[in-house]
Amino acid sequence: MSTHGSGALSTSASDGLSTSANEGLRFSGPRVAAGLVLGAWAGLFWFLLAAGRTSLYLSSRTAWLVPLGAVLATLATLGRLATARVRNPEPLGNHETWMFGVIVLPVVLLLAVPPATLGSYAVGRRSASTGGGIGASARIVSGPIDLVDVAAARAVADAAAALRARAGERVTMEGFVTEEQGEADRFQLTRFVITCCVADATISYVTVVDAPPGGFETEDWVRVTGPIYPLGSDILVQAESVEPIDPPEHPYLTP
Amino acid sequence: MAVDVEPRSGASRRADGRRSNPPVVWVIAALTGVAVLVRLSDPASLPWLRNLLIVFGSLLVEAMPFILVGATVSAAIEVLVPASAFARIALLPRGLQLPAAAAAGVAFPVCECGSVPVARRLAAKGLSPGAAVTFMLAAPIVNPVVVASTFVAYRGRDTLWVMVLGRLALGFVVAMAAGWVMGRIRSGDLLRARSGEVEAREVDVAESRWRRFFGHLSGDVVFMARFLIMGAALAAAIQTFVPQSIVDGVAGLPVLSLIAMMVLAFVMSLCSESDAFVAASFTAFGPAAQLAFLVFGPMVDLKLAALYAGTYRRGFLPAVVIAVGATTLVATMWIQVIWG
Repeated sequence: MSTHGSGALSTSASDGLSTSANEGLRFSGPRVAAGLVLGAWAGLFWFLLAAGRTSLYLSSRTAWLVPLGAVLATLATLGRLATARVRNPEPLGNHETWMFGVIVLPVVLLLAVPPATLGSYAVGRRSASTGGGIGASARIVSGPIDLVDVAAARAVADAAAALRARAGERVTMEGFVTEEQGEADRFQLTRFVITCCVADATISYVTVVDAPPGGFETEDWVRVTGPIYPLGSDILVQAESVEPIDPPEHPYLTP
Repeated sequence: MAVDVEPRSGASRRADGRRSNPPVVWVIAALTGVAVLVRLSDPASLPWLRNLLIVFGSLLVEAMPFILVGATVSAAIEVLVPASAFARIALLPRGLQLPAAAAAGVAFPVCECGSVPVARRLAAKGLSPGAAVTFMLAAPIVNPVVVASTFVAYRGRDTLWVMVLGRLALGFVVAMAAGWVMGRIRSGDLLRARSGEVEAREVDVAESRWRRFFGHLSGDVVFMARFLIMGAALAAAIQTFVPQSIVDGVAGLPVLSLIAMMVLAFVMSLCSESDAFVAASFTAFGPAAQLAFLVFGPMVDLKLAALYAGTYRRGFLPAVVIAVGATTLVATMWIQVIWG
């Protein structure tokens, strides 16, 4: 390989890489740059997949988008790089170069940022009108009660009735502490429910009573066990045990 | 390995003949600086910044694969479907073209981000502007995946069929109405002109079909991605700094509740395959307001606004906002009168 003209990379039959049809072809800067940009996105998708970080951004329902993005971006990268040689390569312009930089910027940000999930700040941004509208009432009747069922009970009359019918049943729920309501032995156990991605997150929560006073701070992840009591618009769990846990691998719930 | 990174004009070489710093070095330096800054500053310790980055990242991680799918379909149309096919469709009466374009959306089960590059390619190949816009607006609502997700979101509610069938019907009606309005645009005036030089660098018409396919594919992704990134950044910022509770006060008010939900859909920029679950969670709002959210959002939101601004000529964005907004508002007002 050798460079010719204004820095464009050239290949010839003598370097053993090209056929007669490719003789005289040289790498085009814009095409190589586009290939590298696509490769950066492919790399991000493969990283999310390999590092198990998909669940930080997408629900289990849409997690297939990451391998799809990885495969398509990889194919687009290989295709672009394989077709990057032309007879008369154009130079890469200033504006174009910065534009490519802008497209790679999110990749750099998402690779550099440590793993993190929505927390109490996001809870305060969600509407008080939302009740986590999940049509999951059937689960309340048959399965173990979780915070998705609680969200359904706040939104759907049938689900609320099903939950009331199981009042006093012992449940185990995991979530993070969001509010202490001015009393040392009460807090809200909260979890975000997402359908596609974190942008559509809604809140589900129960009020935990009889918790060990002062034992937990906002955003601490805990596992609460105790009987559940739907009381009017509130849903309480009387804590028999509250134990600290590490943030789960899948921090968001999906209906 | 070296590739040509010199600017086409300007300061590629200084007057003394020495080479100036190529911008690619500055771009790499800037990106490296951002990475180092993020690692050192620990953005997770700032709740608002953490929220901003997570929402921004999630919008992109979800939307980019759809852009890739849309660009793949778009590139396949470009190299496989002859322009004469679209020219023949363009000769049909508009009264036939628009319903057919809306119905074609049923066969394209991707989110709104994927329909934009396809519509752009269809228009570039000769499909009438009205039909291309109708397809682009209808596809994210009328495709079977979105219909199914709306059904699941409202399962168990009294308003189930109002929401599922209402969304489907309004998707067709509003898309065709907006397509009718956009049909007044001449074919050559719909798309924003791209530099011939840029097109030529991506694809050479003399190249083989598969080489042109990858040229169009990468060109479409790169072209759409920058606007998607801008839109996602704006949407993430608004989600981070503007609480959703600002719409709570108008939940019970006629007309205002519809407008509030349309504004909310615009700023939240949700995927059309998930927005029904969010709409269903706004239990204080009636079915008409939730339908306004579900019809307006997939047609016009912040990330789409950025894509439209980059894809179409000046004037398209305000026209489509007004056409889609007015039709959605009038239609949902009737629904509000009947179902609340």
